[in-house]
Amino acid sequence: MTEHVAQATGIASWAWLLIAFPALGATILLLAGKKARGWGHLLGSATVIASFAVGLATFLDAVGRSPEERVRELHLFSWIPVQALQVDFGLRLDPLSLVFVLLITGVGSLIHIYSIGYMAHDQEHRVGKANEERSRFFAYLNLFVSAMLILVLGNGFVTLYFGWEGVGLASYLLIAFYQHRPAAATAAKKAFLMNRVGDLGLAIAIFIMFNRLGTTQYTEVFSRAGEFTQPELLAIALLLLLGACGKSGQFPLQAWLPDAMEGPTPVSALIHAATMVTAGVYLIARSNPIYNLTPDGRLGVVIIGTITLLIGCIVGCAYDDFKKVLAYSTVSQIGYMILAVGLGPIGYALGIMHLLTHGFFKAGLFLGAGSVMHGMNDEGNIRKMGGLRKHMPITFVTWTLGYLALIGFPFLSGYYSKDAIIEAAFSQEGWRAWVFGGAALLGAGLTAFYMTRLFLLVFMGEERWKKLKSADGRDYHPHESPLTMTVPMIILAIGSVAVGFLLSKGNTLATWLEPALGELQEGGHGPIPHEIVGWLVLALSALGALTAYLIHGRKSVAVERPLKVAFPIRAARNDLYANAINEAIFARPGTWLTRALVFVDNKGVDGVVLGSAALLQGSSSRLRRMQTGFVRSYALSMLVGSVIVMAALILVRF
Amino acid sequence: MISFLAQPGGLDALQAPEIDYWAMAPLLIVLGAACVGVLVEAFLAKPQRWPVQVILTVLTFAFAGLTLGLRLTKDPKGLTTVAGALSIDRPALFLWGTLLALGFGAMLMIADRSVEPGGSFVASAAIRPGTIQDRAQAGQHGMQTEVFPLALFALAGMMTFVAANDLLTMFIALEVMSLPLYLMCGLARRRRLISQEAALKYFLLGAFASAFFLYGLALLYGYAQSVKLADIAEATGGTDRSDTLLYAGFGLLLVGLLFKASVGPFHTWTPDVYQGAPTPVTAFMGACTKVAAFGAILRVLQVAFKASSWEWEYVLWAVAIVSMAIGAILGITQTDVKRMIAYSSIAHAGFLLLGSIALNHDGLSSTLFYLLTYGFTTLAAFGVVSLVRNADGEATHLSQWAGLAKRSPLVAAVFSFLLLALAGIPLTSGFIGKFVVFRAALAEGMGPLVVVALIASAVAAFFYLRVIVLMYFSEPAADGPAVSVPGAFTTAAITLGVVVTLLLGVLPGFALDWAGAAGFVF
Amino acid sequence: MSSVFVTQAVVDAGPVSMGEQVAFYVLGTGSLIGALGMLFARNAVHSALWLVLTMLNLGVLYMVGQAPFLGFVQIIVYTGAIMMLFLFVLMMVGRESSDSVVEVLRGQRLAAGVIGLGFAGLLVAALVRSLTQVKPIGLAQPNAQGGGNVANVGKLIFTDYLFAFELTSALLITAAIGAMVLAFNEKRRRPAYAKSLQQELVEARFQGNRPSPLPGPGVFATANSVATPALLPDGSVAPESLSEVIESTARERLDPDLLPEPDAHALTAPEQREGES
Repeated sequence: MTEHVAQATGIASWAWLLIAFPALGATILLLAGKKARGWGHLLGSATVIASFAVGLATFLDAVGRSPEERVRELHLFSWIPVQALQVDFGLRLDPLSLVFVLLITGVGSLIHIYSIGYMAHDQEHRVGKANEERSRFFAYLNLFVSAMLILVLGNGFVTLYFGWEGVGLASYLLIAFYQHRPAAATAAKKAFLMNRVGDLGLAIAIFIMFNRLGTTQYTEVFSRAGEFTQPELLAIALLLLLGACGKSGQFPLQAWLPDAMEGPTPVSALIHAATMVTAGVYLIARSNPIYNLTPDGRLGVVIIGTITLLIGCIVGCAYDDFKKVLAYSTVSQIGYMILAVGLGPIGYALGIMHLLTHGFFKAGLFLGAGSVMHGMNDEGNIRKMGGLRKHMPITFVTWTLGYLALIGFPFLSGYYSKDAIIEAAFSQEGWRAWVFGGAALLGAGLTAFYMTRLFLLVFMGEERWKKLKSADGRDYHPHESPLTMTVPMIILAIGSVAVGFLLSKGNTLATWLEPALGELQEGGHGPIPHEIVGWLVLALSALGALTAYLIHGRKSVAVERPLKVAFPIRAARNDLYANAINEAIFARPGTWLTRALVFVDNKGVDGVVLGSAALLQGSSSRLRRMQTGFVRSYALSMLVGSVIVMAALILVRF
Repeated sequence: MISFLAQPGGLDALQAPEIDYWAMAPLLIVLGAACVGVLVEAFLAKPQRWPVQVILTVLTFAFAGLTLGLRLTKDPKGLTTVAGALSIDRPALFLWGTLLALGFGAMLMIADRSVEPGGSFVASAAIRPGTIQDRAQAGQHGMQTEVFPLALFALAGMMTFVAANDLLTMFIALEVMSLPLYLMCGLARRRRLISQEAALKYFLLGAFASAFFLYGLALLYGYAQSVKLADIAEATGGTDRSDTLLYAGFGLLLVGLLFKASVGPFHTWTPDVYQGAPTPVTAFMGACTKVAAFGAILRVLQVAFKASSWEWEYVLWAVAIVSMAIGAILGITQTDVKRMIAYSSIAHAGFLLLGSIALNHDGLSSTLFYLLTYGFTTLAAFGVVSLVRNADGEATHLSQWAGLAKRSPLVAAVFSFLLLALAGIPLTSGFIGKFVVFRAALAEGMGPLVVVALIASAVAAFFYLRVIVLMYFSEPAADGPAVSVPGAFTTAAITLGVVVTLLLGVLPGFALDWAGAAGFVF
Repeated sequence: MSSVFVTQAVVDAGPVSMGEQVAFYVLGTGSLIGALGMLFARNAVHSALWLVLTMLNLGVLYMVGQAPFLGFVQIIVYTGAIMMLFLFVLMMVGRESSDSVVEVLRGQRLAAGVIGLGFAGLLVAALVRSLTQVKPIGLAQPNAQGGGNVANVGKLIFTDYLFAFELTSALLITAAIGAMVLAFNEKRRRPAYAKSLQQELVEARFQGNRPSPLPGPGVFATANSVATPALLPDGSVAPESLSEVIESTARERLDPDLLPEPDAHALTAPEQREGES
């Protein structure tokens, strides 16, 4: 594949400002520390909004050009010039990255604004002093935005890796923002470690590319992808997939994402729902020239996506924690996206589209959840909620719109994006259509079930919280959130409703993405016609919603979680034993290995080291006695030395 | 018999040897200044001597350095002069430069009167330690300014030693450099008994070693019928003479030289003398004697005995290993900073010997470079040692250095840097020095020896790092020493050493070029 | 010792006559005995005298070996001047005749003996081996040319070994300064008479309460050093007998806290006193 890459000019040559603004914000806020208490949140939000403005300008500039000119690069500086390894730091401005820029800075701006209100309250509650740590929070958020922009804008795999690690760092810092809470610290560590597993895959994939091609820049790698042998392509594809699994919470590395909900809710919305976790999807879509060449690699991607989407749905049905249900929903929805991009040319654009719509409605859902919990003394257990629609109407309305979009209510965003993916899954040949299409279809039904359950338990039914007190002994007084929180929710709700229609009408997005992802191909005719698939999805979703209503909507819900339940629910409540599996497969052997190594280190290595140290020490003390302080003994030792030297020199001569 | 003594009428006209005064100028200036220094001692009143000596010393080094610099600009190869007694070639000039610079640093420390009120030297050495008069003179602020001419004589001896082109000149230079050092060792102001003991030990063992040197010289004369290095080289080249004489002579000569370089097992004097001598003198010895001794070893080995190297090489291998092992292992259990640096110098002598056995141009240039780096680092290290004091004078026991970083972060940092340089950590000159020496040795096929050297470096690094750990991670002793604020002289000496150590660690190129400019001329 | 073998080895070579051989054996044995005597004598003065024997023998040996100038210099300078100075100094400083002979280092003497003999053996063996192949040349021919032995030595000193010769001056200066530094105490308060005129001296002496000379040192009483104080009849030290010039342990005994009680054993041999103090 050869592609036309133009040098960025005009407005696009200022694209570095995209990254520079939030990076500057993060630097200033981190350096200022608590001095920024009063203005940190304003600066933090302003930099992201400025970044959004630049992004919008660049985007409009690109829209004004013909499709061939839309892929542009902006060379900034030579980053790693080490003999054979020449890494340039440059930005790649093409339709794909610009879409991400708009998503990141757009949703990012909204969430920054939301955070102003959220964190003010939050800090007052937790630390006792308003705004105590708010500027640190905004510094981390800014850091995240700039790293994420580097990730999507970089023009090579090394730049991507830089951003990749940057968002990992920001994610770690933000999950552990309540660092005094052991759960948060543990969750951050878990996220960090599981991400490292994925990063290793990405790193090795980059090594293979460099080893084979001597370059890691996108343009060269992609145009010369044909030089890889088939096994190499498969290896790269699977290693990149491993990276994507780590970052996007895909099977088998999905367990960190629900735990990451220990972070503040805006973080969950921005990083762990809308943007960072979709980086895996971006990586695979970006590497499409490689995946195009390896059907086996794509099959691997599809399998992972399918498994993950089912896991996410099933576990989501069983959880009682508001944010964790949403987290598993995210896992599941990203499974859909991975499935889509794994389908190859018939799915790249669909995956990106679902990513965008999901970015809107899931961010909206999370903000709504944050708003609810905010009104409920930070209570996250949905069994203690109920009937909240009367108390927080704006939240209720916006959340409902997001919920409907997610389950694919006709003509809302999810309807367009998710149905298209299921249809594409069905358009494959033979068993694949039945397996992957069927799984995706089942997933849609389950999604409708758990989301409806969530909806009913939180906003409908009796007000169970009235009889209860929160953990810190206060009564619940649900109330609507301040304007800085509701306005972003409203905007996101509008997005949830409209984005799907706008993007899919006349294939707008697919056409726009063509320069980066290639033309969106029509899938083959699978076993079931497309129209029928659409109806099936609707029918199953309705069935799921109805079942949820039948179970949770008509009778009162127990505040305490029923403990005697069937095995499937028990399994789902235990994250389908993902942690146990991780424990058994990775952690235990790891622990054993570590213990063995510690043993070897203690007994063997330390033994040798300490032993030789002791030996030296001992011989030192013994030799020391020869230094008696008496000249005659010194002279004697010199004489001994002389005799030996002389003997060695002379005796061989006899 | 009388007719043997004088044969009437047979006396030819004496042909005076040609003397290139300009080439010898640095040496003659130092010698001359030493003599002038003696006159100053004789004719000036006591209070005037110190300032005059200091001025004289500074002028000496200025002029000697100047003439040396002028010399460097011309005559790329070098020459021999005074009937071939001196060889003023590139290595000799390099060593002269090194000696002058190090000597200047040491002289600054010798002249310092601020760290120890009145200087590190006793006011009147003739008074017996421990007597009433000695207690009376402890409060006096004068010092024996004879130290200045003595140090200059020693320096002149060293400069002759490295340039001597025949063994007789070398022997006399050896004595000229040693005798003043013996004396200076015994002139400490504090702890006079241990100082005098050190002087006596040094003197006795030095005389012992000189005897070896002289015996070797005699045997070599018997072998080659000449004491000139070039003639010995020629004789080893091809004669039917029994070479037992050669190797016996070589072995004895070597013992004398290795003693001066404090190479194990001829090192025994080093710790005691380093510890007992006044610290400026220790610095002078540690830096300059090492340079002079190895300069002479290099010349003797490379000029006179290169042709027979395969016969004696393995002996020096063994000596180098013994020296490195003794230095590194014994250094571990030392509890006195000065003794520790002494053992470090023994280990370093082993490394230097490694470069000296590599009988090629790289071996020469790398050893010269190593001497330069080692000299400056040691000089500055002893400078720092002289600053850490308590009421009894220098606090050299390691336990007194605990937690020094908390009291005096600058001194602790400087000393840590110097210790790292001695250990050979990158970005210090010690690393470059070790690197070039080991590379030269490897190129000569001394792989096993380099492995031993690396192990010894690692072991030695342990006791350097232990001091750093002690300074930084231990709680300060309750009645620990204070760090004196040094006067301009000691500050200048320490700064000189530290700057050169850093400079040669970062930009070693120019010095390596200079060290490798040309080989020996004989 | 080695020289014995040397001569045996060269016995067949031309210019070594019978008389020379006899002279060599006598002188060689003498010098060896002298050297060993110097080492093993317990009294420093005896050691010095043994050394004189060695030097004399060597001097004669040089003359026999056709180097008469060296032989004379050896006798005149070393035996005559230097050794006599040594003796003077020994007499004057006069440490108690023997140092401690108890060896505290275990095995030191045995090891020193074994190693020393081994070293000597090595050298002798090496010399024997190498000198069998060396032809003696003798100095007869050079001594007959260029103005004779003395002139030739002088010529060498001022040509080939000029620098070494000149450099020796540095050595001498150093030695002189060293002696001054270690021994000369300019801070010492001189006695009043040293600066006075003869007239004043006489007046001081006669008007003072001691017209007679100060008592001499007790050299012949207990030791052979001038630093030894004279003893008064009751066995105590006569303070006036102490030298102002020479410091000694005896002087310290005058420090009030060190002043010994008069004791009856003061006149016994030094060895016996050693144990008590």
